[in-house]
Amino acid sequence: MKNKKIKKDNKLYWRRLDNSAKIFPIAAGRKYSTVFRLSAVLKEKVEPKMLYKAVNRALVQYPSFKVRMKAGFFWYYLEYNPKDVVIEEEKDYPCKYIEPRTNNNYLFKVTYFENKINIDIFHSLTDGNSGNMFFKEIIYNYLELLHKDELKEERSTRKIVENNTEDSYMKNYDKKAKGNASSKKAYVLKGKKIGFGAISTIHEIIDLEALKKESKKYEATITQYLTAVLIYSIYEANYKKYNYKGSKPIKVCIPVNLKKYFPSKTMSNFFSYITLEAEMKKDNLDTFDKIIEFVKTDFKKRLQEEEIIKTMSANVKLGTNFIIKILPLIIKKFFVRLSYIEIRKYTTITYSNIGRVGIIGKYKDYIDYFLMLIAPEPVEKIKCSSCTFENKMVFTFTSILKDNSIEKCFYNFLKERNINVEIESNGVLDDISKEIK
Amino acid sequence: MIYPKKLSSKKKDLIFKILLICSVVLGLLLLLINKLTTPEVPWAALSNAGIIYVWITVFYSIKKNINIAGHVLVQAIAISLLTVFIDYKLGFEKWSINISVPIIIMIANVTMLVLTIVSHKKYIKYAIYQLIIVLLSMIPVILISENILENKVLSIVASGISILNLILTLFLCAKDVKAAIVRKFHI
Repeated sequence: MKNKKIKKDNKLYWRRLDNSAKIFPIAAGRKYSTVFRLSAVLKEKVEPKMLYKAVNRALVQYPSFKVRMKAGFFWYYLEYNPKDVVIEEEKDYPCKYIEPRTNNNYLFKVTYFENKINIDIFHSLTDGNSGNMFFKEIIYNYLELLHKDELKEERSTRKIVENNTEDSYMKNYDKKAKGNASSKKAYVLKGKKIGFGAISTIHEIIDLEALKKESKKYEATITQYLTAVLIYSIYEANYKKYNYKGSKPIKVCIPVNLKKYFPSKTMSNFFSYITLEAEMKKDNLDTFDKIIEFVKTDFKKRLQEEEIIKTMSANVKLGTNFIIKILPLIIKKFFVRLSYIEIRKYTTITYSNIGRVGIIGKYKDYIDYFLMLIAPEPVEKIKCSSCTFENKMVFTFTSILKDNSIEKCFYNFLKERNINVEIESNGVLDDISKEIK
Repeated sequence: MIYPKKLSSKKKDLIFKILLICSVVLGLLLLLINKLTTPEVPWAALSNAGIIYVWITVFYSIKKNINIAGHVLVQAIAISLLTVFIDYKLGFEKWSINISVPIIIMIANVTMLVLTIVSHKKYIKYAIYQLIIVLLSMIPVILISENILENKVLSIVASGISILNLILTLFLCAKDVKAAIVRKFHI
């Protein structure tokens, strides 16, 4: 009887997309996947059957992920997905558009290769922070299934997070706040594209202690320091290399976890972003020292709660605009896709740092490091992301550019400062990876 | 090594694209032959309409997330349009709207009725398609009121079956119908 009730409840389960998530299915396609990937590199080979069980267990803990996307007349929405989850060996490039028909309509895709477990997540489902929580649940379950005796005690002490899917944007936005978006277009990275739908992935595995020491010299946080290195690398290896004559600034978009600013336990999206605007010519930012000073000041200015609320509120207001709400989905699609071509020209590069992947107790012993990747797109040809596990910080470049000078410059910069960096790549630009190594 | 050696972007769609190009070329070729040989009989247009119908069916069939009620709806619309087009190209004697369309509407409604009775527990999946079919089934009523139809009996029967179908559905699955409307039309 109880089972029947649960089945009936599942069948009726549906939820609206949160304010951020609304835009992704309307804009997404093969060229603009809005998919991010989290990977865990373990110390032993992955067992697919156990992984399948682990994912199913995680879905019981986090039912908000057991959904599929459906089109309504005005908006997309999520509803309960009765189908089995699909686990496959990794064959395709990372962060590719998740074809619903190849994935039993799930909005995430779990794959494995040798020692590595990946989850590709469509951004409509959740953001990097909550995606990370779900992914950790999969890893915990997987390790528990594989090492039952060793992790028996740990399992009983592990906390399970509440499965909350509220739209925290609606709860926290300020109706009176005015937008603060910049009207200036950004410098777009130059260079030929790889083509054939290929994505190059270069992971720079950085010694965290050395990186901390180096950033302390500049009284900067790690994110600020790496952002400055990134801007410097773009300036040296693309801006100057291609002899850019214009005046567009290098604009770096940095996602911000709003849970740090508002009390929210939602598993849906709850992030905003800040955009650093480095006027290379106007402010004469031609050395690293000048760039890092600029980054520190701009971070301070833009990371103020007031500024973040302004950006978030402006986005929420757009989604709650009555005219936009009542436009049929098909018309919304047309306008959003058209405007997205333009919107993308306002960012040079995105850098997302999800910070430390907090793994508890003995589970750590089975994990080497974590990776995070974001899908590049036709205008924003390179995207960067990083995450930290123990003493390894992995900074990842996902790129559709043939030219890897930025990655190389970034690597050399850290090496010159005696920071140990190791390289892993997916081999798309094999010569490049060898060159760096 | 944390990535497989040969990563590939899937090329499954290549065959699909080749077939699509072949269809377009075939369609153009038929039009050309038709114009050069028997321009007084528009057989190429009819063949092309057939090709388009086949492609609509193929597109929908390969979409795994379309449920059976969706197929009923798409087939009902596609076959109706195909028959009206053939009729129009052959001199528009109105056999399509007098006979074909009402029969198609009847079949679609009976199929939906069977689906409702057999699997009313899953009805929420079918509700929206059912409502659209009922709405489309009212087209013959409009045609009757505009005096376009000569044979009204079939159309009246078709629309009648549709209304009966709706009443029975509401009786069996009113909650599901309401839930489906709320989620499909939320703003």
